[in-house]
Amino acid sequence: MTIGLCLADPHPDEVSDGSNRTISATHFAGRYRLVDFTLSNMVNSGIYSIAIILNSQYQNLITHIGTGKEWDLSRKSGGVTLFPPYLTDDRMPYSRERDEALRRALDTVSGSKAEYVILTDCATLYNIDFRDVLATHRQNGGDITAVYSKKQVMDIERQSVIHYILDERGRLTGIQRAAYGTEDMNVSLGAFVLPKTTLLQLLARERFCDIIKFTREILAGALKSLKVIGYNFQGYSARIFSLDTFFYYNMDMLDSKKRNSLFFNQGRNIYTSGKDSLPTKYGANARITNSIVADGCQIDGAVENCVMFRNVRVKEGAVVKNSILQMGATVEKNAELDWIIADTSVIVTENRKLMGSQTYPVYISREKIV
Amino acid sequence: MIGKNRKECIAMLLAGGRGARLLALTDHIAKPAVTFGGKYRIIDFTLSNCVHSGIDTVGVLTQYQPHFLHGYIGKGQSWDLDRMFGGVAILPPFSSAGGSDWYSGTANSVYQNRQFIYSYDPKYVMVLSGDHVYKMDYAQMLKFHKDNQADCTIAVIKVPPRDASRYGILNTDTQQRIISFEEKPREPKSNKASMGVYIFNWPVLREYLENDARDTSSDNDFGKNIIPNMLADGRPMYAYRFKGYWKDVGTVESLWEANMDMLEDMTLGLLDWPILSQVVGKPPQYIAKKGKVKNSLLNAGCEIYGSVEHSILSEGVIVEQGAVVRDAIVMANTVIKRYASVNYAILDEDSYIGKNAVVGAPREEGGPITVVGRREESL
Repeated sequence: MTIGLCLADPHPDEVSDGSNRTISATHFAGRYRLVDFTLSNMVNSGIYSIAIILNSQYQNLITHIGTGKEWDLSRKSGGVTLFPPYLTDDRMPYSRERDEALRRALDTVSGSKAEYVILTDCATLYNIDFRDVLATHRQNGGDITAVYSKKQVMDIERQSVIHYILDERGRLTGIQRAAYGTEDMNVSLGAFVLPKTTLLQLLARERFCDIIKFTREILAGALKSLKVIGYNFQGYSARIFSLDTFFYYNMDMLDSKKRNSLFFNQGRNIYTSGKDSLPTKYGANARITNSIVADGCQIDGAVENCVMFRNVRVKEGAVVKNSILQMGATVEKNAELDWIIADTSVIVTENRKLMGSQTYPVYISREKIV
Repeated sequence: MIGKNRKECIAMLLAGGRGARLLALTDHIAKPAVTFGGKYRIIDFTLSNCVHSGIDTVGVLTQYQPHFLHGYIGKGQSWDLDRMFGGVAILPPFSSAGGSDWYSGTANSVYQNRQFIYSYDPKYVMVLSGDHVYKMDYAQMLKFHKDNQADCTIAVIKVPPRDASRYGILNTDTQQRIISFEEKPREPKSNKASMGVYIFNWPVLREYLENDARDTSSDNDFGKNIIPNMLADGRPMYAYRFKGYWKDVGTVESLWEANMDMLEDMTLGLLDWPILSQVVGKPPQYIAKKGKVKNSLLNAGCEIYGSVEHSILSEGVIVEQGAVVRDAIVMANTVIKRYASVNYAILDEDSYIGKNAVVGAPREEGGPITVVGRREESL
């Protein structure tokens, strides 16, 4: 048996789309939140016992996950358990409350019958079967297996991407910041398979922990004493941690190959919390091309190279190109948008013309009326 | 006062009919489970009405091809009908110490499940159909029923006089008290058609169901037996006039029309009265560079590389490059291959339209609607 331990992202300052929600709750591809990929990967790998350590600004995440029933995780035995910062003494600083969450989560891991732990973040986009990773782990006889993807790194993502230095037998010998350019890097996907006992030993004296700290400090410090093996994941993968990467990877979904690799890899579905929106309606004046559109939209204008989240309205005569419109955004008649990210419930009034550029998409924060 | 272990009003939802006039669409599933509006099943409308009207106890009477319907309803989570006391219950025919019987008619199906009704000790029982598309507040009808101190209230809608002979027609006095009821009359005296939505005082209904069960010549049907019998006895029965959209989707034509009505009138999906359904986890739809979509409703997971016009597509439908879909209703996960053409048709779930295939004839030619059954292949 295997248990999942997920660390919600700790960097509220870098939150991807300019709003104050934790990265794990950031929207993606019209109807998802990043955490959906972590939860779906777990469930698709037969892991029905998951602990998530929340960090900050987690209200959206808690509402979204709920009892976990959309992921089949509303279980009598196991299921998903959330560990928010835990107030023990109101004179203590916030960091102590976060430490307490880690301790409680580790108690849960320790008390479970699981032999192995899948340790992940909650913000990496990929569609993986962890059973393959586990099988490789058992074969290799290593202490820890670290999942990575061999690929090029872009300029916009270099600050946050970690590269694994591997020897010829696939053993991790070093961990460093990835260089961007045309050379393939071994990009960390923030996922590790290890025996429960190893995890508990590694974290025994740790206080707060997130996936970056785990990789850069804890794992890096243990490379000599423990045998860490790399597992090369072949499918599509991405990590969102800034407005630039949010824009880039959402737009990446216009590529059918990438979209299929992420959403249907070997028939594995990605689940999310469902909404009873209407199907999307295209009016008599709709002209739409190369775009993904979520439920509940009403499109009666021209749309090209766009990602439309739920309940977006594009009215007659409006032209929207190269843009991401988040939930409930409205583009009134004859308005024109190019290279725009409109957050939830933004309204662009009649005849307005807004233009960003490929290198600088303009962000409009939630509920603003332009 | 209604005590803790009572419900004031419960609903019995008739969902056992075959719906043979829907041709191949109901070969494998019951009519209430047929897809509607790209996202819903017909029964979603009635179940959503119940929930939004404050009726949280619904018995669903099933008989014909019930497997999919049973799975779809499940514990009722999709409608918030998974309740500790009440909620949705699936009621297929069963055997008991007294023997076992198929449901011989609509009234008989309720009669056979009287133990279910006893367990909630209700004052009122609603009898509903699972094959109508409409949004209605039953709470208002119940208030009307109570205000009139009626034994039975029947919801009616005005239909065009030329269509009246297709329905059960009610004649009323100025106080809306029902004077007579005629099932599909040749010469209708009014255009008030029964919507198949009834509220009964349970003790009265119980008595009539018991008498009906003893009557060996009875068809055990609400429209043919129970209602006429109550009228003959001079019971206080009233007609409740409903003014919104309502459609019986019992034929291929009416199913097609009702679907297309969704395109004209999105109020069917207004947010204050959402139609709840089982939500399918598919990624958003993708319209490709050469794709064209006009005047259509599309659900999640569709991929459009060809052209779609005046059509309704359920989740996961793929329209390949060069393919043309017009005036069509295409149900879930159907694949339409390159350069195929689909005109004025209803394609059931999982059907496969091969390369260059031609399905249906343009609507302008005035021919009938073409129906392609589940998992059928047209090459």
